[in-house]
Amino acid sequence: MSDAENKLREVAQDLLSTGRAELVLGYENGSLPMTTRPCFVRSAEDVQRLVWNEFCTNNLAVYLPGLFARPANLRGEWVPPKVAIIVKGCDARSVVGHIKENQVDRERLTVIGVPCEGMADPEKAAAGAGGNALADVCLACTNPTPEVADIMIEVKARPAAGDDRLAKIREFEAKSPAERWAYFTEEVSKCIRCYACRQACPNCYCKVCFIDQGKPRWAGAGSDISDTIFFHIGRIFHQAGRCVECDACVRACPMGIDLRMFTVKLGEDVKDLFDYVPGLSVDEPPPLCAVDRDEENLNTEL
Amino acid sequence: MARGSMKKADFPKLVAAASENAAFVAPVDGPSGAEFAVIGPQDDVLFDFGNTKLPVKRHFFPQSEVLYQYANDEVRSAPLPEGKTILFGVRPCDVRSLLQLDKVFLDEAYVDPYYRERRENTLVISLACKDPAEPCFCTSVGCGPAAREGSDAIVFDLGDDLLFEAVSEKGEEFIRSQAETLSEPEAELVEKAEKAAAEAEAKLPKIEVEGIAEKLPGIFDSPVWQSIADRCLSCGICTFVCPTCHCFGIHDEKADEGGQRIRVQDGCMFLGFTVEASGHNPRILSGQRMRQRIMHKFRYTVENFSEIFCVGCGRCISSCPVNIDVRETIAEVMR
Amino acid sequence: MSVGEPKSIYAPMPVTIRKITVENDAGDLKTFELAFCNEEDAGAFRHECGQFAILSVMGAGESPIGIASSPLDKGYVEFTVKRYPTGVVSSALHSSREGDKIGVRGPYGNSYPMKAMEGKNVVIVGGGFAFTTLRATIRYMLDESNRAKYKNMTVIYGARSPGELLYKSELQEWEGKDGIDMYVTVDKGDEGWKGREGFVPTVLQEVAPSSENAIVLVCGPPIMLKFTMQPLLELGFAPDRIITSLERRMSCGVGKCGRCNVGSKYVCKDGPVFSYEQMQALQEGSP
Repeated sequence: MSDAENKLREVAQDLLSTGRAELVLGYENGSLPMTTRPCFVRSAEDVQRLVWNEFCTNNLAVYLPGLFARPANLRGEWVPPKVAIIVKGCDARSVVGHIKENQVDRERLTVIGVPCEGMADPEKAAAGAGGNALADVCLACTNPTPEVADIMIEVKARPAAGDDRLAKIREFEAKSPAERWAYFTEEVSKCIRCYACRQACPNCYCKVCFIDQGKPRWAGAGSDISDTIFFHIGRIFHQAGRCVECDACVRACPMGIDLRMFTVKLGEDVKDLFDYVPGLSVDEPPPLCAVDRDEENLNTEL
Repeated sequence: MARGSMKKADFPKLVAAASENAAFVAPVDGPSGAEFAVIGPQDDVLFDFGNTKLPVKRHFFPQSEVLYQYANDEVRSAPLPEGKTILFGVRPCDVRSLLQLDKVFLDEAYVDPYYRERRENTLVISLACKDPAEPCFCTSVGCGPAAREGSDAIVFDLGDDLLFEAVSEKGEEFIRSQAETLSEPEAELVEKAEKAAAEAEAKLPKIEVEGIAEKLPGIFDSPVWQSIADRCLSCGICTFVCPTCHCFGIHDEKADEGGQRIRVQDGCMFLGFTVEASGHNPRILSGQRMRQRIMHKFRYTVENFSEIFCVGCGRCISSCPVNIDVRETIAEVMR
Repeated sequence: MSVGEPKSIYAPMPVTIRKITVENDAGDLKTFELAFCNEEDAGAFRHECGQFAILSVMGAGESPIGIASSPLDKGYVEFTVKRYPTGVVSSALHSSREGDKIGVRGPYGNSYPMKAMEGKNVVIVGGGFAFTTLRATIRYMLDESNRAKYKNMTVIYGARSPGELLYKSELQEWEGKDGIDMYVTVDKGDEGWKGREGFVPTVLQEVAPSSENAIVLVCGPPIMLKFTMQPLLELGFAPDRIITSLERRMSCGVGKCGRCNVGSKYVCKDGPVFSYEQMQALQEGSP
């Protein structure tokens, strides 16, 4: 791992000193054992802060829409910053999504890809699992090597997961609608409406989230379970065909809600219906934005 | 000062007796970690836990509650909450947070009737900490693993034995009322408790906060706030898990006939917390919100209530998805 | 064991909308004259110049609005409200009709320093629709029972255009009065406008009211306040003699919910009236 770490520091140093990037988004050591945290490196002297290890779990793409958005109260000229971002396989899929949804200035973005060996689950590591401390989400990962990268660090990635990665989803799908509803409501009844899942998710960059709107007010702000269910159904459906399974929402959630089960389930539905997997190709249009004229069942009589 | 001891194994008997006149709320293992729940004698109570995931303020200032209902041009205030509660197993840091929240909700000018009713009808029995762990730092902010202020009684977990010690009159009354289960403790038990408390206190780090309220105004315009908040996701978890955070919003909920106004916990770390109808937002940058949070807890409350509104429980540190650590922020400010 | 209805600090008092006056040409500024439904509420509601109340529209929400009627006006309370397209409450208010019932709670906040103003010249500078509480103050001061307490009154009030001026009939009435010098201006006039043209800060510098034995009350949008402070200081007004009103988004109105915090103060409880000196001390205190 330290090989990748050194290479990352070299790359960051080079980008900052040549002016190709004004800001490098990476990871630095956290203040708690077995954690790292996002690190904003703005000068070449600071590249020593960057680390690379099995605890680099955050999806840094969450910062990109904000960095490339024109500040609200600014008058006059504004030029977006030149940003470099360190990404794992899942994070790179988020960046692909951002590119397709016009949330980043591609010319001013440098993607530094690190093929990922998988990240550790601190709880498993603390329990002494040793080599078997990989997070569940990483065991199910389909794309450990970034799909898009301007600079690829030369390290080996872990193999992609096989079909058994969907075992839990298939188990869920085999349940009756009533059983599925019961599981879903039981999970979201733990929700305290803190919205950490939404804030941590790179896909959730709406200026005003639907749940916060007053006109019209779609749902209440209190702890009424029907409002909470509405929030989660809304958010899960907004992720359909966009979720890249980075686990940012699950890690952020203080109440341990099984959020990934539902977004991945919808992702599988989108794959079946539209033959589309998010975050793999910049050229593939998202299913909500594309119509194939030769498609079966296309209703042209509307 | 009344004391009483019992075997931990006999705890269900105490629960059975005490539950006759009140709901007995104690820490149990929940789906998201340790949490408070109403229990009966058959339930497993947690004694070995760091702290509950969510703070005890929720018992007095719930996540959401109805303030009043309206129908046909009439407004009817929500009735006062009923029933007595024994709140058992509260860590001293959370107890201290109640004393601080009292200063806000029981301010003489405008007393919150719902908060007051719950406070008056709840007996608080705290559980001293045996094994404080990272990231707790309660001793640095005027609290401690066996701090008694604010509880009605404090309990020491001494392995097979439990030692109860009254702190307030209500606590004395409680201990006397449980004469069937509690007996006069042996002197060595009391000694053991004192020793455990001292050991626990020694484990805690000392973070320098002396004079922080005076330092803060000087760095109001410093770029340090934005650099701390660069990675902040504005997710608001810190405000929800914090025992002393008390910001809330009032929301209208319309039904087919009439509706109600509810009070919902809110947080100053959310982007939209201070946005005005015109669209202007005085705290549009995450650095401004971070500054507000720290200023509020370490300076403004000192000005208004002579207290730092932080009890050193460490929940914000363990819950933050991007590891923003208030201990580091304090150190940064003190520099 | 029912305890009965508690006296809740959050519940509003019912009022009827007795009269709605459209104040401006654009139609998005309306003055609502409200009458209390219950005698005791009418008797208990006593406000001072500069205070605000929270208007409550069932089905929409609540909004803090400055009280536009004078404390001496009996039997009713007036509020002038601007409708924001994104505003849930202001839109609901603007869609309501005379005879509709809404709720009011208050009065909240502190007031203009009326006692300190006695025996002094009073300069009033207002811009746009922030003029509401200033209007309440002018009416109060001009009343026979009060006029003698204060010395000369100078009023500088500006709006974006003639159509945007509030309380037009009162402005005319005050124009002719002794002991009050009116300087009404607009940023840009129209064909019918025969009065002054110019931004409020500019007119202030032209009028150059004396700061000797004087207190100035100034209310306006953030940008106007920004450009008015300097001329006032240059005219010799001491920072503790420049009085303004801060605005922040509010929720509870009673100093608990944390939303309107500015520094260690609550705009709803310790404000909204602050002197320039106090605002400087509140580092977050710029409007």
